[in-house]
Amino acid sequence: MSAEEASETPDGVDIADGIDHQVAMVMDLNKCVGCQTCTIACKNLWTDSGGREYMYWNNVETKPGEGYPRGWEELGGGWQSDDHTDRQVGEIPGGEDYGEPWEFDYESTLFTGESEHVEPEQDPQWGPNWEEDQGAGEYPNSYHFYLPRICNHCTHPSCVEACPRSAVYKRAEDGIVLVDQDRCRGYRYCVEGCPYKKIYYNAQRKKSEKCLFCYPRVEGEGPDGETHAPACAEQCPTQLRLVGFLDDPKGPIYKLVEEYGVALRLHPEFRTQPNVYYIPPFAPPQHSEDGETIDVERIPRNYLEDLFGEQVHDALDTIERHRTRVENGGESELMEILQDQNPARQYRLDVFEGGEGRAD
Amino acid sequence: MSETNDAPRTDRDTTDDGGGLSRRSFLTGAGTAAALGISGLSAAREEGLTGLEVVSDPIGDYPYRDWEDFYREKWDWDSISRSTHSVNCTGSCSWDVYVKNGQVWREEQAADYPTFDEDLPDPNPRGCNKGACYSDYVNAEQRIKHPLKRTGARGEGKWKRITWEEALTEIAEHVVDEVEAGRYDCISGFTPIPAMSPVSFASGSRLVNLLGGVSHSFYDWYSDLPPGEPLTYGHQTDNAEAADWYNADYLIAWGSNVNVTRIPDAKYFLDAGYDGTKRVGIFTDYSQTAIHTDEWLSPKAGTDAALALGMAHTIVSEGRYDEAHLKEQSDMPLLVREDTGKYLRASDVGMGNDKTLLMCDQGGDVRVAPGSLGDRDGKYDADSSITLDFDPRLDAEFSVEGIPVTTVWNKLTDRLAEYTPEAVHEETRVGTETLQRIAREFADAEKAKIIHGKGVNDWYHNDLGNRAIQLLCTLTGNIGENGTGFDHYVGQEKIWTTHGWKSLSFPTGDVRGVPTTLWTYYHAGVLDNTDPETVARVEEALEKDWMPMYPAERPDGTRPDPSTMFVWRGNYFNQSKGNVAVEETLWPKLDLVVDINFRMDSTALYSDIVLPAASHYEKYDLSMTDMHSYVHPFTPAIEPLGEAKTDWQIFRELAAKIQEVATERGVEPIDDREFDREIDLQSVHDDYVRDWISGEPGALAEDRAAVDFVLEHSEETNPEESENHVTVDDIVEQPQRFEAAGGHWTSDLDEGEAYAPWQDFVQDKEPWPTFSGRQQYYIDHDWFLDLGEELPTHKSPETMQDDYPLQYNTPHGRWSIHSTWRDHPQMLRLNRGEPVVYLNPSDAEERGIEDGDDVVLFNDLAEVEAVAKIYPASPEGSATMYHAWEMYQFPDHQNFNALVPMYMKPTQLVQYPADSGEHLSFSPNYWGPTGVNSDVRIDVRKKGGEGQ
Repeated sequence: MSAEEASETPDGVDIADGIDHQVAMVMDLNKCVGCQTCTIACKNLWTDSGGREYMYWNNVETKPGEGYPRGWEELGGGWQSDDHTDRQVGEIPGGEDYGEPWEFDYESTLFTGESEHVEPEQDPQWGPNWEEDQGAGEYPNSYHFYLPRICNHCTHPSCVEACPRSAVYKRAEDGIVLVDQDRCRGYRYCVEGCPYKKIYYNAQRKKSEKCLFCYPRVEGEGPDGETHAPACAEQCPTQLRLVGFLDDPKGPIYKLVEEYGVALRLHPEFRTQPNVYYIPPFAPPQHSEDGETIDVERIPRNYLEDLFGEQVHDALDTIERHRTRVENGGESELMEILQDQNPARQYRLDVFEGGEGRAD
Repeated sequence: MSETNDAPRTDRDTTDDGGGLSRRSFLTGAGTAAALGISGLSAAREEGLTGLEVVSDPIGDYPYRDWEDFYREKWDWDSISRSTHSVNCTGSCSWDVYVKNGQVWREEQAADYPTFDEDLPDPNPRGCNKGACYSDYVNAEQRIKHPLKRTGARGEGKWKRITWEEALTEIAEHVVDEVEAGRYDCISGFTPIPAMSPVSFASGSRLVNLLGGVSHSFYDWYSDLPPGEPLTYGHQTDNAEAADWYNADYLIAWGSNVNVTRIPDAKYFLDAGYDGTKRVGIFTDYSQTAIHTDEWLSPKAGTDAALALGMAHTIVSEGRYDEAHLKEQSDMPLLVREDTGKYLRASDVGMGNDKTLLMCDQGGDVRVAPGSLGDRDGKYDADSSITLDFDPRLDAEFSVEGIPVTTVWNKLTDRLAEYTPEAVHEETRVGTETLQRIAREFADAEKAKIIHGKGVNDWYHNDLGNRAIQLLCTLTGNIGENGTGFDHYVGQEKIWTTHGWKSLSFPTGDVRGVPTTLWTYYHAGVLDNTDPETVARVEEALEKDWMPMYPAERPDGTRPDPSTMFVWRGNYFNQSKGNVAVEETLWPKLDLVVDINFRMDSTALYSDIVLPAASHYEKYDLSMTDMHSYVHPFTPAIEPLGEAKTDWQIFRELAAKIQEVATERGVEPIDDREFDREIDLQSVHDDYVRDWISGEPGALAEDRAAVDFVLEHSEETNPEESENHVTVDDIVEQPQRFEAAGGHWTSDLDEGEAYAPWQDFVQDKEPWPTFSGRQQYYIDHDWFLDLGEELPTHKSPETMQDDYPLQYNTPHGRWSIHSTWRDHPQMLRLNRGEPVVYLNPSDAEERGIEDGDDVVLFNDLAEVEAVAKIYPASPEGSATMYHAWEMYQFPDHQNFNALVPMYMKPTQLVQYPADSGEHLSFSPNYWGPTGVNSDVRIDVRKKGGEGQ
């Protein structure tokens, strides 16, 4: 699709039948520093109590790595074919694959002297960031990068199909995928059915819960009456996330996904059509044995292809081309979009309801 | 995955109201992860779900949405207050604190810093993972809620709760005893970094000052101070604000892991990559910042100076240097005597005094170099100039009145000749082609900048590392304008509102400041525990009064031990290098240790009386940093928890109690043995709350009044030549950019432009505050000449515990700011939950260590237990433990710094010029020995292995 056609036919964007508009997010992996401010922003807002302590609706994992929950990429789920008729049955991760939320007894060491030191009350075996900074390869040519993950609010959510009670649904107005907390009985078919393992079972409440795309913030119905982007995006110190609607042709997400083709889906082969997109990572080149910089890419392309599909080659080439253009004094809309010079443009959530986005 | 269980799950729970799975074991049981073996579940939608309303299409037509209020109800709060965090992270980020039902619920970046330059990335939001969960600390188990008095041994954690009245009376009586006995200089106050909360800093400092006690330095003690800056620039440190990184065309992050340690500022580094800037990372490991660079260089640890000098060699030998800059702005054309190695003084040749330096013009005549000390009465003088009215020769070499002379430039080029690409490769392992190419790119860039950090600054020879790297900026003229410079960011040392803060903290103006590294090591027995040469130099520096030491030597030649220590806003005991000696030798000398804290940290645990302080969300204060040019406040979102009080209130009430006790006892004023003043305990509270500038009694009783005092008496917030006055109300409304940069900074603060230092010298041609009045790379102090360090040079790292194979690193990490948040469950869960050491895979394998194993780190000094983490990005021969775990997180209260001996570099004890010290003399946090710790080696073994 050329840029011109896209701007003329914004409804050419593939969104699910029955959905008016589809929220979307682009995350630039070249700006992710692995600080997990997003993780904390989410946790302290939604998951710090009530049986949710172990959950990270937003997590950031080091890649390559097994991630969180451990080995999620190998657990199945999604669809067997592009027509989204047959689900690919998946597995439910074990509790040990999430890791327990370790607890600490400070009182007895610090205030009563009954215990000599403070350590996790559970033996740490795995956690949401267990493989932090590890990656793969050998010094000096090791490689790693950070992958932030939330629910993808897919166009063809296999979790919805998986639920025998029809308690998982996709909202008509914005495509946000939710688990009805009244209707859910905690069977966990949705956990099994999601190939990204972004639905979590709350053993205390006997319900499954998941990322809400912060709909109470997005709706602007809080005490301040203001629309806020999801906490993970708004609190990100490097502002690596763009938030808006996929079908907003003036928005940067549309441009990055449809026009420039640099924002890619994670594991497109799962066929759920995520609405979270990633700018793939580049890295400094490798070193030779005698310490010279050599013209060899550090992150193997086939690994990136495993994550983001074949489009990753074009995407990286496009980014490289535009970076070179700007380095040589040229202009690039793409490079401007990827920089945090206009936060109003970064979050376009009022475009359809209020008539105008904050940027307009 | 071996952990999964592939047995099909058959135990359908038919007692539920539908075809549910058993809920057994999901998190609490065996943790089976079964393949369901069920497909076509949509059929179940229509059948078997008795009583369940039908959903025709859950995609876009879901009818039962009232439940959504369940999460909407959580998005609710009662009030929002602005505050921030006081942790010396350099972030200085403004946060909104949300209060619900009288409790702090959560925080979110306020994100309302005003933009001053539309061409730069947006300044919002500023914050990080730690700041985003400080709220958990407010009601944490570690929170100190009442005054506590130790009942067991120090560190044992046994306390009794006492009243404020009891606590203050006990402390006050002790203090009055000490002062009355003339032991006021046995009382120490340790609190770091005023910029992170100047009023809280001032609270105790003001009382200590009135008592005649000792105020401790911190910036040098933490080895945050780059000695190369006072040596070369004559200034503590001055940096561009982080936004200026974006203005560079070429950016080198040199040992500065900005993506971990400067999270709120990282975007300027990252966005620059989309704006045509080349970003180079120089790190021993493939660090969290290296991954987002365009080229990474990986020198061997501790060889940064060699790499920089190798690059300088290329720049000089290929003629890529900025000759005009060197002539006007540096000491390169100055004449040096070949016979003594000293600068040729005007007095040597009958041209003036002995503080005036000389150059040689193109005609071969010796000329007075404008701007050296002798040319400006030994003072900093903004009206004098270094502008040249002649063209000096860089490469002169001749005799004058029988004295053979040469130039600094000649000496430098001789020295650089040793740093051939091959020699530098041998030392650093960086490729010869690569290091030359990077040097050329740096020299040829229009605007090049180096972001410099702790990775270079924690070494014994940190001064040499600094000077070698600074030299690259000077050689290429990349200094004194936007987008250029040597920006060293370690420690939140820059308190913009200096005058207001100083006036509040030290009302008498007579400050008993002490270099904490020297004080700590001296009282921990360094003179009995280090090499004879260092001992001799320490003794000489004390003898010559180059460095102060307290308690002062008494007329009879004795020197008492320190007796009393107040610690607030810091964790001195936990973070002490030479920790074993501090615990065993220094700590027992202290009769009373009082810690004022919101949480029980290791210093509090090892104190005698602990006083509960307000948290960061329960008080008024100010926040500022060198990373940006704004000021914003702490304000109380809630009342202090339990019996906690603000620092200001605590010290004010202590002052009142001291006054009361002294009055009861009739303690007469005491003459201070060093300063022309009396210490009057009967008026100490009146003096504490009096505004010493206006003279108004009782004016500073409240915290907020003290905040106002700082803003009112600072050029940055209340400039003399302007109507604009930044008030507390202004900054509660929105962070404000400073109105001006006071005279103690090195550039003006211009509207619409990022602050970049040194413009007073480079652009306005004022003399640099050095001996020569220029950027000075040649230091002709005897000690420097003795050690061959008169010019930047590379020396191999010192050999601490050299029999051990692994270089021990304790860098700043992602999950804590020093020890704050180290004990925070949210942060621990995103790490490994307990102390962890990062090992290269080969080193681990060689020792039979696997990821997750319990291991012991050891050298001759100590053994420290940790969990091993395999880190392929690290070079072989390294062991990294991100600092600063609390002692109580290790078995037996081990300490990450216990593996580090007491050591420091004697050249950092000097005065220069040796007789008068205008260029270098002790000033707290400006010049003094740095508490280095990177030269230490250890080994690691699996716990339970040999020796265990």
